[in-house]
Amino acid sequence: MIEFQGVSKVFGSGPTAVRSVDDLSFRIPKGSFWALMGPSGSGKSTVLHLIAGLTPPSSGSVRVEGVDIARMSAPESAALRRHRVGYVLQTFNLLPFLTAEENVGMPLVLDGVRQREVDGRVQQALEMVNMSHRAAHHPMHLSGGEQQRVAIARALVIEPAIILADEPTGNLDRAGGRAVMDLIQEVNEQTQVTVLLVTHDPVFAAYGQRVLRLVDGRLQQDMKLPDKPPALDLGVAG
Amino acid sequence: MRHAHGIQYALLGVVSRNPEGVHGYALKRQCERFLGSFWQLNFGEIYRVLDKLADEGQIEQMAGESSRKVYRITERGRQNLDDFILTPPTDAPRPLRQELAVKLLFASAAQMTDVLQMIDHQREAYMSQLHQLGAQRRKIRCLPMDSFVTGLLIDGAEGQVRAELTWLDDVTTKLQERFGAESSA
Repeated sequence: MIEFQGVSKVFGSGPTAVRSVDDLSFRIPKGSFWALMGPSGSGKSTVLHLIAGLTPPSSGSVRVEGVDIARMSAPESAALRRHRVGYVLQTFNLLPFLTAEENVGMPLVLDGVRQREVDGRVQQALEMVNMSHRAAHHPMHLSGGEQQRVAIARALVIEPAIILADEPTGNLDRAGGRAVMDLIQEVNEQTQVTVLLVTHDPVFAAYGQRVLRLVDGRLQQDMKLPDKPPALDLGVAG
Repeated sequence: MRHAHGIQYALLGVVSRNPEGVHGYALKRQCERFLGSFWQLNFGEIYRVLDKLADEGQIEQMAGESSRKVYRITERGRQNLDDFILTPPTDAPRPLRQELAVKLLFASAAQMTDVLQMIDHQREAYMSQLHQLGAQRRKIRCLPMDSFVTGLLIDGAEGQVRAELTWLDDVTTKLQERFGAESSA
């Protein structure tokens, strides 16, 4: 569960201060899939940073799985990121000199998990994203879509409670983007991981059950997308 | 071509895919598979069109079957279908955003908050449609049949909705700039 209560985030001070997030409140239930939409500079990524404990709120409270981020010590917030939050970025951020499986295993290795267990969990994560056949490849020999799948496996390998996906389709073509979104949705359904997606593409935001639209750091609109909306006739048939 | 023509040729097309003959119920199911939920057909409509096609000699009832009427396409029907496929589509471009434009034309500055709320409502409806189109795309992937054309229809619908949403965002921004009004959250 992720809960924002009256959260604001101001960068800088005085006349040059920028209010990146402005009095934001919402509550994302465990296992759900939400999307944040809005123009660039609307504060979407800052919301993810606040959840991951990468930056503290200027006011208000951010609670992740019941714990107030602002009250965590630096090691506690690092542990939250290592164990509970998987991050997926537009730029994949795979280490080029490591193979796909080594990249996926990295969070576990850094955490001191025994190699045998690392191997098993990496294999499982790669299977989940359908990349087992590319385990020994280096990122440069993978397509953009494949690299993102590996990055998703790396996020999954820690068995996170939350996946934060920041424009995960931004560097992919439409088909590649759709495949990545399908995968994220599948992971959400199969593992009950909570997903918060940041995107400016409405087609991808619509994968979510709920879409928040931010403008200038403020919640402009909160949209619930029912699974069965009224039958549509988009004029395709005339 | 929402009604008469579209459905007539859709049914004729599906009958033509069944050289061994097909009855009304199977026809409805196949139509739904081919066309997804883009066309909602009911049995009354289907049987009416089938009767009409039979009267015109485009399809015929097969002999020797049980109580159910089983149809197959005739030579005449096939020729008609071929002609239809090769004739340029008659769909005129859809009139765009007329209703909202008229509202904007006559709304006063004092009504802007309401207009912006209406736009938000519209945006939510479009997002729901995208959500449903996504679900439909996943559904056809699991069907044991070629859903190439359904996929194309979904692509087209998504493109239309995306364009509408872009326009709505643009309208919202510009109205706010012009009137300084704020849409409610």
